[in-house]
Amino acid sequence: MSEVIATNQTILVVGGGISGLTAALEAAECGKQVILLEKSPTVGGRVAQLYKYFPKLCFPTCGLEIQYRRLKANKNIRLLTLAEVTQVTGSEGDYDVTVALSPRYVTENCTACGDCEKAVAAEFDDEHNYGLKQRKGAYLPSMMAYPQRYVIDPRIIGTADAEAAKGACKAGAVDLDMQAQSLNLKVGAIIWATGWTPYDAAKIQPYGYDRFANVITNVEFERMLDPFGPTGGKIVRPSDGQAPSNIAFIQCAGSRDRNHLLHCSRICCMATLKQTNYVRENLGDAAKSTVYYIDIRAIDRIDDFHRKVKADANVSFTKSKVANIAENKANGNLVLHGVDTEGYNRYANEHDLVVLAVGMESTVPAGVFPEGFKINEHNFIELDPANGAIYGAGCSSDALDVNRAAQNATASALRAIQVINRVAGQEG
Amino acid sequence: MADMKIGAYICKGCGIAERLDTKSLVSVATRDGKAAIGREHDFLCNADGVAMIQQDIDGEGVNRVVIVGCSRRAKTEAFSFEGVTLSRANLREGVIWVRPDTDEARETTQEMAEDYVRMACAEAKFLKVPESSGEQGLLRRIMVVGGGVSGMTAALEAAKAGYEVVLVEKAGQLGGVAAQMYKRVPAKNGRQGPVDPEVEKMVHAIESLPSIKVHLNTTVAKTSGAPGRFKVELATESGSSSEAEVGAIVQATGFVPYDINKLPELGGGKSPDVVDQLGFEMLAKAANGGPIKRPSDGKEVGNVVFVQCAGQRSEAPGHLPYCSGHCCTTSIKQAMYVKAAGGDATVLFDDLRTPGATGEDFYRAGQEAGVTFSKGQVSSVEVAGGEVKVSFKDLILNEEAVDNADMVVLATGMVPMSGPDPYLMLDLESARGQNDTARVADLEAQLEGGFPSVLNLDYRQGTDVPHLKHGFTDSHFICFPYESRRTGVYTAGPVRRPMDMAQAMEDATGAALKAIQACENAALGRAAHPRSGDLSFPKFRMEGCTQCKRCTVECPFGAINEDEKRYPLFNEARCRRCGTCMGACPVRVISFENYSVETVGQQLKAVDMPDEFSEKPRLLVLACENDAYPALDMAGMTHQEYSAYVRVIPVRCLGSVNTIWITDALNSGYDGVMLMGCQKGDNYQCHFVKGSEMAHYRMSKIDDTLSQLNLEKERVQTFEVSITDIERIPKIINDMAELIGQIGMSPFKF
Amino acid sequence: MTQMNQAMIEKYRSSFLKEVETNVEEGHWVKMCMQCGVCSGSCPLGPHWEHPPQEIFMMIRANKRDEVLKSSSMWFCTSCYNCIARCPRGLPITHIMHGLASYSKKLGLAPKSQPTESFGQIFWNSIASNGRVNELKIGLALQFKDGFGQGVKNAMAQKDLGMAMMKTKRMNPMEFFGGHTCKDKSGIARMLKKAQEVEDQHIANYGAGK
Repeated sequence: MSEVIATNQTILVVGGGISGLTAALEAAECGKQVILLEKSPTVGGRVAQLYKYFPKLCFPTCGLEIQYRRLKANKNIRLLTLAEVTQVTGSEGDYDVTVALSPRYVTENCTACGDCEKAVAAEFDDEHNYGLKQRKGAYLPSMMAYPQRYVIDPRIIGTADAEAAKGACKAGAVDLDMQAQSLNLKVGAIIWATGWTPYDAAKIQPYGYDRFANVITNVEFERMLDPFGPTGGKIVRPSDGQAPSNIAFIQCAGSRDRNHLLHCSRICCMATLKQTNYVRENLGDAAKSTVYYIDIRAIDRIDDFHRKVKADANVSFTKSKVANIAENKANGNLVLHGVDTEGYNRYANEHDLVVLAVGMESTVPAGVFPEGFKINEHNFIELDPANGAIYGAGCSSDALDVNRAAQNATASALRAIQVINRVAGQEG
Repeated sequence: MADMKIGAYICKGCGIAERLDTKSLVSVATRDGKAAIGREHDFLCNADGVAMIQQDIDGEGVNRVVIVGCSRRAKTEAFSFEGVTLSRANLREGVIWVRPDTDEARETTQEMAEDYVRMACAEAKFLKVPESSGEQGLLRRIMVVGGGVSGMTAALEAAKAGYEVVLVEKAGQLGGVAAQMYKRVPAKNGRQGPVDPEVEKMVHAIESLPSIKVHLNTTVAKTSGAPGRFKVELATESGSSSEAEVGAIVQATGFVPYDINKLPELGGGKSPDVVDQLGFEMLAKAANGGPIKRPSDGKEVGNVVFVQCAGQRSEAPGHLPYCSGHCCTTSIKQAMYVKAAGGDATVLFDDLRTPGATGEDFYRAGQEAGVTFSKGQVSSVEVAGGEVKVSFKDLILNEEAVDNADMVVLATGMVPMSGPDPYLMLDLESARGQNDTARVADLEAQLEGGFPSVLNLDYRQGTDVPHLKHGFTDSHFICFPYESRRTGVYTAGPVRRPMDMAQAMEDATGAALKAIQACENAALGRAAHPRSGDLSFPKFRMEGCTQCKRCTVECPFGAINEDEKRYPLFNEARCRRCGTCMGACPVRVISFENYSVETVGQQLKAVDMPDEFSEKPRLLVLACENDAYPALDMAGMTHQEYSAYVRVIPVRCLGSVNTIWITDALNSGYDGVMLMGCQKGDNYQCHFVKGSEMAHYRMSKIDDTLSQLNLEKERVQTFEVSITDIERIPKIINDMAELIGQIGMSPFKF
Repeated sequence: MTQMNQAMIEKYRSSFLKEVETNVEEGHWVKMCMQCGVCSGSCPLGPHWEHPPQEIFMMIRANKRDEVLKSSSMWFCTSCYNCIARCPRGLPITHIMHGLASYSKKLGLAPKSQPTESFGQIFWNSIASNGRVNELKIGLALQFKDGFGQGVKNAMAQKDLGMAMMKTKRMNPMEFFGGHTCKDKSGIARMLKKAQEVEDQHIANYGAGK
């Protein structure tokens, strides 16, 4: 790896999802030097795993393509993948950051031709598909992966598979001796944009995600729609591969709940409305959707999307937090128990697929930041003078949708630039 | 540039050499492509391959590099050479990965590859390295229009980054709506309840900064120029005027509350004790923590009912169809005022919308304070005997209910204070010109009750920032909230989309960054998003121009004005380099240094055209580089097969497709032409807004050409595709190939 | 209608919610309900409730004093704690239900002959007077609570169960004659008096918003 040059006029962006990409690009296009770190082998983050965006029902890949092109074209940004921040010390305008770099075992010479993948036998859960599919031990994380470069899974290092991968690579890009490294960076400001992880649905015991095959999460449902995903773009019941005809969407699965996440995750209402649209597109009148909700938070001008879905005869809404789910052993259907609070109507509704609208759990780490750094009780980084020039962006700052995350990331870029410009002014 | 010298470099890696005769490709490049140098390499993208090319650039004077290997989207870091043009022939994703590895396919696959080499060399001949025009210098000053919280935030944040700010406010003081507030919903830690809006603090900060020049009682009389060199005329109420030069503009003109008098069924206008949220806020501010006194008789209010979604989220005529987003938390805040003063407060809502961590915390804080929340549908608000009677259906208890209150607060929505929609104005102008009275009446109705122009842009395409929906100026793009249709002009706050104060401040900070970026871009002659960094810009040959005005009308970004002689006047820094003007020009006098009628036209002509009896038709695909082309690449990555008769040329946007290309293609014997662009219409996905739509429109007119040539109109088709149409695009291509097989070969082969 | 009830009606004329907050154990939590309904759905006896907890909370806010306090609903609570475990807002629903039941009884509004209410009273009488539960007497009192004739019928219907319990030494017929008590009955009485004071103070604190 060529040397990474950073000074206290450099902006460090941590996280290569939509927020981190946006912050890095906006700052770099103002002429600033940016180092962009991404923990996984590719940038793109959560949005790369979505099928469509609400409310436009356009494809996230489309925006990512533009972002990647901007990234490729901009020499002010240095991207490091498989890089994780382990420690930040110092203060505004003068931070020391320790970064752990994991080996990819594949060098810049990789042409993404795919020969290594063919040579390797071992398979692992595919992270891009939330483990709903297998991928090889030598893999391209997704078709849109950037850098467009293969990865060797560390679990095959030392096995014959690793040697096979090396042997298959005509470009000589496989380097099995690559080691983990530690890197120290000096930067002036930090934008923290490590995003979110879907709340672990298995923790919501009454819903039986860990026990019932046909209870899935909203993020898994997204993957089903990808023509190259685990089900080839079809909406199916995991138990028998059949198309469902009566789907339940359960809102606030883990959100607005002191037993799980206290905060409202903001996106899940719109995500469900969008997913009822997938059901309509894919299964037409053959499937009905029922949304169990507390409040439908289709905020601001996207409320028209909500109204459109409400007008769909195949979608119905029940104001109720579902109490529990039981499985009908005979057919794998799920019986939802609860009370429709509008008029107190007790129900035991049988559905053949249940989608849990799981919320966003912030991934802001503990023990990384300088002393006195403030992370709120929801594990988000709010704007606070105590945090110096470390700014939370996107879903590291609150539960945000893509549009707000991009907006917030753009604002964060300016905050970082203000610090850099001050430093530059002092240094002359 | 010095004499043209093409170096063509053929990569043998990734299976290319196994599938293709690369020696022959070298000779195609040198013989047909007129490349001075043609070389093969085992792995062109590795350090050795790149060094080989660099050596030729440095030592042999190669200034037009042609890379024959993988897609232009791959290995961009390796193939990045300074001071030379770059063309890419895509033999990997575009040829060997989409063709079967069989003996019978070998010949057509090789032909495909050879054509791509010819095409890349043809393009290379007409490419130039763009040079910055130096149209403007660096001007580190922005104008902010609107002195509310959004505008003040934009001004302060830009100033903190070292920029000068011209802050223009229509009223006699700064602060806007927020200055009328008693307290605000906090931007963080919702548990703390309402907090001080700190407007005075912001005003003080602005007044103490010499880099912010505040113009009160002032409006913008005229804005001309372009990013980096906007010239604005400011007019004061007293009639005096001044001028300022700014590099970019933030428009933060905010909102006015929806007119409560339009809601008589909810008691609007019926009693001074039925107020909107701003009205109640002012009462709270007057009370300053003491009991709130109601307007009718000064009685201290004991029971206040808040009616959410009043006149909004409704399709009823005259209502606002959207949710204003802030009203739930605003009502909770105001209900907390009532509780704090010892009264009772009930919020009647449909969906309580307090999203995020702060929102939900604030909701709980309201509940803790004792605010009552009821899911209820209000049927009427009547004033009688010193009380306001709210009749509603309690949706939880499923029964009709009545609440007698001292006051009722209607949570009405935000009406954006955007200027008139420029496109409606232009339509109106043309309708008037055509004496189309029905259309004039319709447009006048649409524009009625709107606000006067905010920016008075001296643009061919109208005075203000275009509206997106319901009068808001928001960007249409989810991932690019600031992708404005007027480069260098960014709107922020509730004029852009309904939002609360916290979001407005974030939004204004983001808009300030974009304004700063616009200044920096303009100084370097660099394009803004999405072709960030592109240094090319439209070159115009006045001699041939017929003043047809298509370019000035069709530019999606209003970049082209008309001069006194009605010639187009290009404003480089407003331009986003989509090429729509180039596509529009019937006499082809507009081009870019790195993208022109020639760079594409010569490519399509460079294809080796088999004769009519060869049974080898040729299909031209003009594919949008943003979506269709990546989808074709991914079709390759997933080894979807498509016809070997197709030749794909990426274009910046379908809007840049000039009909001459179609005519040329048909004249040179192509059997079919396919245009692949993004979704058009209301939910457009075209990154240049109108490009795809323009292409569809232009192609609808191509039938005449076809009939003149005596060709079937099915030979030219336009498709809306997405980047995810990885399986669909090959199918479309194959269907087209099949169709051509049915209708037969073109007779125009030579 | 008791005097206390009348006094409360006058005191809290406009707000039953305030009355509940001030006088019912854990009543100050009622305002925190967001009407998701998970408590009602989770209650194993839910189908038997006239008004499930979430509805009761809404009724309190809607000033439906009589309908709530005269309802048999909260007497159905068996303290399984499902609702508390699942409530996303952390409302101690079980305790609120008991608090409401207790309050309605205090005001003399509890439904007459509600079995849970009767059982509670009999149980309380037994334990408060002797410091220990006399199971035989409680059982008999319950069986005979609706008159002698019905009591005999009830006893006959359950005689096999009674015999079996006696055989396995689960019930001692001698308990009928006094039965066992605790050593310090007056101490128990003092303790219960103190507990009542503590509870009253507890409620008073909530009511005062402390």
